[in-house]
Amino acid sequence: MKYDAIVIGAGANGLVTAHYLARAGKRVCVVEQRDVPDTSADIGWIPDVVIRDLGLSGAGLRIAEPDPWITAPLPAGGTLELSRDIRRSTEAIRRISPRDAEQWPEFCGRMHTLAGVLQRLYLAPAPDIEATDARELSRIAGLGLYVRRLGKQTVIDLARILPMSIAELLDDWFENDTLKGLLGALGIWHLKQGPRAGGTAFNFLHHHVGSRLGVFRPARSNMTQALSTISGVEMRRGAHATVLAKNGRATGVMLDQDGETIAAPLVISSAPPRATLEPVALELDPEFARAVRNIKARAVVARGSLSVGSPPPYSTLCIAPSLDYLEHAYDDAKYGHDSAAPYVEVQRTDGRVELHVQYVPPGQHEKLAATVAQVLQVQPSQVQLQPAEESLYHGELTLDQILFMRPVPGWSRYRMPIEGLYLCGSGTHPGGGLPGAAGRNAARAIL
Amino acid sequence: MKQYDTIIIGGGHNGLVTAAYLARAGKSVLVLERRPRVGGAAVTEEIFPGFKFSMFSYVVSLLRPEIIRDLDLPRHGLHILPLESTVTPMENGNYLAAWADHDESRRELYRHSPRDAEAYDEYGHLMHFMARAVKPILSMVPPDPTSFAPGDLAGLLKLGRHFRGLGGERLHALVKLMTMSSADFLDEWFETDVLKATKSASGIIGTFLGPRSPGTAYVLLHHYMGELDGVFRAWGFAKGGTGAVSEAIASAARSFGAEIRCNAGVSKVMVKNGRALGVALENGDELRASTVVSSLDPRRTFLQLLERGDLPDDLIGDIHRFKFRGSSGKVNLALSGLPKFACMPDGGPGGRLHRGAVSISPSLDYVERAYDDAKYGEFSRRPYMDIVFPSMIDPGMAPPGKHVMSIFVQYAPYTQNGGWTDARREEFGDAVVNTVEQFAPGFKSLILHRQVITPLDIERITGLSEGNIFAGELALHQLFFLRPAPGWAKFTTPVRGFYQAGSGTHPGGGIMGASGRLAAMTILKNGT
Repeated sequence: MKYDAIVIGAGANGLVTAHYLARAGKRVCVVEQRDVPDTSADIGWIPDVVIRDLGLSGAGLRIAEPDPWITAPLPAGGTLELSRDIRRSTEAIRRISPRDAEQWPEFCGRMHTLAGVLQRLYLAPAPDIEATDARELSRIAGLGLYVRRLGKQTVIDLARILPMSIAELLDDWFENDTLKGLLGALGIWHLKQGPRAGGTAFNFLHHHVGSRLGVFRPARSNMTQALSTISGVEMRRGAHATVLAKNGRATGVMLDQDGETIAAPLVISSAPPRATLEPVALELDPEFARAVRNIKARAVVARGSLSVGSPPPYSTLCIAPSLDYLEHAYDDAKYGHDSAAPYVEVQRTDGRVELHVQYVPPGQHEKLAATVAQVLQVQPSQVQLQPAEESLYHGELTLDQILFMRPVPGWSRYRMPIEGLYLCGSGTHPGGGLPGAAGRNAARAIL
Repeated sequence: MKQYDTIIIGGGHNGLVTAAYLARAGKSVLVLERRPRVGGAAVTEEIFPGFKFSMFSYVVSLLRPEIIRDLDLPRHGLHILPLESTVTPMENGNYLAAWADHDESRRELYRHSPRDAEAYDEYGHLMHFMARAVKPILSMVPPDPTSFAPGDLAGLLKLGRHFRGLGGERLHALVKLMTMSSADFLDEWFETDVLKATKSASGIIGTFLGPRSPGTAYVLLHHYMGELDGVFRAWGFAKGGTGAVSEAIASAARSFGAEIRCNAGVSKVMVKNGRALGVALENGDELRASTVVSSLDPRRTFLQLLERGDLPDDLIGDIHRFKFRGSSGKVNLALSGLPKFACMPDGGPGGRLHRGAVSISPSLDYVERAYDDAKYGEFSRRPYMDIVFPSMIDPGMAPPGKHVMSIFVQYAPYTQNGGWTDARREEFGDAVVNTVEQFAPGFKSLILHRQVITPLDIERITGLSEGNIFAGELALHQLFFLRPAPGWAKFTTPVRGFYQAGSGTHPGGGIMGASGRLAAMTILKNGT
């Protein structure tokens, strides 16, 4: 047998797992369906330990830290620009609402503390609430103690805020629509929920993990590209792989193009859990198979790019003028239509201008480019969009699909009920928008 | 001046339960009720001559069995009559019925989807089990997770053990119920849209959420807890209306020696050096007691009965943030005869349609769209409705041959664009009546009298802030140790000798009485 392990998918998580395994002396083959590497930016916090362990800085990793980190048009003309410097953003907010400016520093502090708790949870496998062994129980007790040491307010905030809607949370703190709209957008990021839905405050904090104090947009980087330049793993591009299993054991993968099989005792998939597990459904317990079928992974995002003559004057432009605007955008998606007035975010990275459009449920999208062009006041021909077929996070980050419930309840430890088969992608804990976090946790579980 | 051991502010069912338990323990107790009758939102009133209505709350299912037993309520006149069915008329003229008989319901569902009929049993078992698993929590004083006191740590540990004892699969189901939307939760089980719509409708009652909003699956369970074994929505009526429940509890309280005074609104709790001394009435009288209990909702308990200086600032902030957002209205009708529903013109086998509930929830999208209106400050043009005909079960509610019809309506948001006016109330009533007419042609001609109740009316009459029927939304972040505020979920308040006992405390909502009972237990334990 030529390989010790096959990793399906050469995204950030797949490559991180592959390289961790390779560093531990395993012969690893990565199978990727795309012919050429994806050049779009990786969005989200990269754990420092991954950068260090895999020497990503030496591999050309660049993390964009735009300042101001967001620009939002104001209804009366002009823009609101929020900087990395809390004092400067406070001053910017003061021009639209003195009351909100007063709240801003404390809001940033409280959110940063809460995101810090999540960050700690994300760097390890999800706590196993069914555990009976002393080690896991003491780890859970340690987590509890850690949270309580952060103070009474943090305990209350965690219990109160996580199940809340982002709209309720922001209404508690702020009055200005522009500010609430640009913050609220992060709460619905990649979710088929509106800002009034419970759990969107959690989603907001999830996407704040790893960000600097007062910055509420995830980092953007060229992580996947940097990972592709590291040697140590073998790469097979242009090959869509299906897991092979026999008698409850993974035996390798089959490449769909020519039916070639590659054998290995370990198969690790960074593809969506459902797509990975469906071909081997016959090997699975029916209850487990049902749980996999029930994973909510509804598409709502179209990503794409904007062709422009000269680079725009902002790094990130957010079109989400109010919470009601976002809620109306969601209403359309609820009944299966693209938002008539969608939330659009434009990001400039490395000379490209990328788009995030929400809500775009699966279906017909004839008018989408024109709608987005109208929102951005550009020509439809400048807008190129690829609506997703399924959640780009391989499973929505709703409260019933996180921690020990992700990807399916009770199977959050990356190991699947087929021996030798593991998952390592966004569909597993801690989920999407954190490139490499799941990949590292999975590699550690395997090793 | 007479000195009481305990004065209870508010003669709603929770206040009365507290009074009964304290009086039973030998305390001298006085209940003060602002209105001319006890009951709060559980009252029966003869609104039109000969026609009696459970004016607000209209069904009974959650009343804790231990309360019925401890207070011997049947002896005091409590008599629950079962509701036999729920029929949901569909827009295509078909219907979905759920009967008291489990097998009959299953056969009915089979007509819509054999697959769902299969899943129905398993779903029923799970929900039944989950309700049983959660029930002990209803009778528990919530521990405070921020406290290091031995009692709280022990409580948390006990809670942890209780949940772990459920085993993996059920623990996961509980997490799902606590966090999912009812639509998503039901999607995992069923394919029949009208079934999901009708079930999820019970998950939105009293909330400002739609069936696709996370958190509604829990309310599904909250309502399931009142159900009898294996029976789908086994709700009941109290003979004589829900007022009869209040009267029975009041009678029990009196039998233990409690005094109940109506037309006695309380304006303030008198506080000196951080300790409650008694209450001041709206008429200027002052009454003394060593313990004062408020069964009013948290906003009125903390912000109206007390002075700002009596409370720490963070609690005031928390109470300001506590959400009420009333979303339900009620239309009470006096009818000259029974309406014929197009889906079941004869009223079904044995005329059972009229002996049960009629749910206007023909599809998930229908209910969700009703919520869309409310989100932007409008009442639903085509609302979700839960209709019952109490005179069919309890003939004493209407003159012979005539009927009363009770329509619970959602959504009617308290905050209405342009505010609630008399004209707007009638418009809302028209929307309700016109929607019923679509399912029961000719129904409008039967209406003799109509009473339309908006959340503003509920607030004005019962005092419930923003007309919220649960004295505060049953949202996940307002339950258990967060109800009504972190650190103050154990029925005590920062004012010594002043307690809270209403539905705005744990476990809240419905004619349950659990809050009132737990408050009484706490007071007896504290010994003041």
